[in-house]
Amino acid sequence: MRPSFLLRKEFGNLAVIRGTVKYHLSPLEQRAFAGAISQGVPNIFWRFRQSFFYVVPPMLLSYLVYYTAEMEHDRLQRKQPGQFDHEK
Amino acid sequence: FSPLMSVVRHSVVTLPTPVNISTWWNFGSLLGVCLAIQIFSGLVLSLHFTAHTDLSFYVVIQSFGDVYYNWWFRALHANGASFFFIGLYLHIARGMYYGSYVFKEVWSVGVVILLLVMASAFLGYVLPWGQMSFWGATVITSLFSALPVIGSDVVIWLWGGFSVDNATLTRFFGLHFLLPFTVAGLAGLHLFFLHDQGSSNPLGVSSDFNKVVFHHYYVLKDLVGACFFVGPLLALVYFNPWLLGDPENFIEGNPLVTPHHIQPEWYFLFAYAILRAVPNKLGGVVALGVAVLILLYMPFSPRTSIKGLSFYPWGKVMFFSLIGVFILLTWAGAKPVEEPYVVVSQVLSFLYFSYFLLIGPLTRIQDKLL
Repeated sequence: MRPSFLLRKEFGNLAVIRGTVKYHLSPLEQRAFAGAISQGVPNIFWRFRQSFFYVVPPMLLSYLVYYTAEMEHDRLQRKQPGQFDHEK
Repeated sequence: FSPLMSVVRHSVVTLPTPVNISTWWNFGSLLGVCLAIQIFSGLVLSLHFTAHTDLSFYVVIQSFGDVYYNWWFRALHANGASFFFIGLYLHIARGMYYGSYVFKEVWSVGVVILLLVMASAFLGYVLPWGQMSFWGATVITSLFSALPVIGSDVVIWLWGGFSVDNATLTRFFGLHFLLPFTVAGLAGLHLFFLHDQGSSNPLGVSSDFNKVVFHHYYVLKDLVGACFFVGPLLALVYFNPWLLGDPENFIEGNPLVTPHHIQPEWYFLFAYAILRAVPNKLGGVVALGVAVLILLYMPFSPRTSIKGLSFYPWGKVMFFSLIGVFILLTWAGAKPVEEPYVVVSQVLSFLYFSYFLLIGPLTRIQDKLL
């Protein structure tokens, strides 16, 4: 028995494709990890380069905010020249 | 097959899954692993725990020496909570980046799960009855007094008395035990709604024409992900179990001595920074609530032609800026209420909320320009 709600998206009921012919090799006729090193490793560097200028500038800016805030806090924790002149 | 086995088979064996989902799609199953770890380790800990203000602190410490491997279960449970939140935040970040919030029901149930897990973590932190347990409970429950008219009555009702005391601890233990099972049920509902349409994929387009069975491709991928997730968790448990903790919680809770720096665990610091950024008590409480509940707005933000931010360069810059803002808010939440941390927290809180309101309209501008 299969509940009716499970009939919505199953194999055989996913999509209608017209005018397209798909070819594939059986998993038993091919190497499972073909190109994993020779193409996969350069792909890692490619993906890094593609995202570098989206990720790094915001992170750099965040670090600058953190660094500046910490420096400013340290400065405010110290006595400043002329801070107590009114008490003389 | 019985109906139950049929449901299981269609959920994890023959489930049509996109071929191209990346590691970011591992976090759903990882959160399920975390929940199982927390429930199991929590059950073991509860066998040797007594929820009483005179006993809890000493029972927890004494059980390390007297109960075989209880130190391990406690370290697993405490660090498991941290990893639960790491997984939650990365899972939500995936959802925000790839536009998963278009699945409104899945997203809404997910936000409810987030709220219940946050509540559960807060309740659980009170149980050891250390200084931070007691004072964290006092600070957060006192926030409800900001509610107009009924505020002070609500707080007394929550406490079960006129301050955080034994009645509070016992009911917190009961609720901390109950909530994870509610979360488990909601996780099932979360998956039910997800499987109605099937998982999304990084390209943001329909993958109905290109799917594979879940078993064994994604069973194996999730297993690999679990190893990479549980590995660091166990590394913390064995080598540095208190790295993410507060030393103040090794002192028994004392209502007469206030710690210098009351702060929650790291996963609540961003919300704590937003709470303290607003100078008004009720305003701060509202901002705290909206900081999490604003996620519910995402499904209603203006839609773009292509789902997700993969093909929206400025959207991506804004997204990673939000990540930076979130990390900075976490840092700011641990700082004392002194300058320049106050104004920095206020600016960061403004930027945090601005993201959710602006990301939809600004990415739609790219659609109109192209």
